[in-house]
Amino acid sequence: MSNKVSRRQFLSYTLMGVGGFMASGMLMPMVRFAIDPVLQQSGGGDFIPTSQKVDDLTEIPVRVDFTIKDRKDAWYYSDVSNTAWVYKNGDTIIALSPVCKHLGCTVNWGGDETHPDQFFCPCHAGRYMKNGDNVKGTPPTGPLDEYEVKVEGGLLYIGKTVSNTLV
Amino acid sequence: MNWIAKDIDTYLLQKEYIDTLIVPLLKVETEPGNVKNSVSSSEFLMHLTTFIETQFKGRVMLMPPFAYTMSTELVVMAAGLSNDLSALHFKHVFYLTTDPAWTSMEMVGSVIWLPSIPLESMDPQLRQTILEDQLRQVLPRFVEKWSE
Repeated sequence: MSNKVSRRQFLSYTLMGVGGFMASGMLMPMVRFAIDPVLQQSGGGDFIPTSQKVDDLTEIPVRVDFTIKDRKDAWYYSDVSNTAWVYKNGDTIIALSPVCKHLGCTVNWGGDETHPDQFFCPCHAGRYMKNGDNVKGTPPTGPLDEYEVKVEGGLLYIGKTVSNTLV
Repeated sequence: MNWIAKDIDTYLLQKEYIDTLIVPLLKVETEPGNVKNSVSSSEFLMHLTTFIETQFKGRVMLMPPFAYTMSTELVVMAAGLSNDLSALHFKHVFYLTTDPAWTSMEMVGSVIWLPSIPLESMDPQLRQTILEDQLRQVLPRFVEKWSE
């Protein structure tokens, strides 16, 4: 009958078991941290519905307001109102962010009487072409950002901002 | 710009562009009958100044609101504010308030008095429209100073 466990065997099994448990306790969180970026859900797919009918859009930019509900900033939830300047270029819908690339004011379409077909920033007279390109010689240093857009049920949906792809 | 560390950094780098200071003056009334109205006008003033800040972020610095109660000596407060805020060297200073008492005060900068509108019962869209209307009311005052 050799199935009797010797003192030496018992000690080595116990040490291996406890040691393995401790080692896995250390390694598991490390592995979890390492693969975390892969498991992370991307929030980029969030499209926000607007009340703008796509059929009503023309070549002239119109202001579209939309509200991001329950935006989370640390523990603070709030509704954030946002706007976009939307127009049609052929069949593609273009939505530009109204945030001036100079210091972040809100730009308007045709806000300057002498340049009715440009975006105008009232703070320091910055101007942008219809495709968002900044007019040289005015303060802004880059083109207006674009919003991702999609159409569902004839209504316009606006996604996250991306840097201008038209210029 | 808001009165927060992140925006102050931008301000310190871009001082020649951000030349306007906006100072909300809030009257806090404590008489039971007036509390509701006072709260409502505070809310209106804060909504409006925040809205002005988002529209003209690159040109204005929005101060935290200066609040006072009924027994505050406005003449003393006005003189103190004028004197202390001028140390910040903003080219234009605008005081926004719903308290008509400020219109008769001697201050460095412009005092803009606005009638309070109760926003609390409005749906967000109407509120936004009202704020835009109010901004259109005060805008000429800003533009006038800016184009001097």
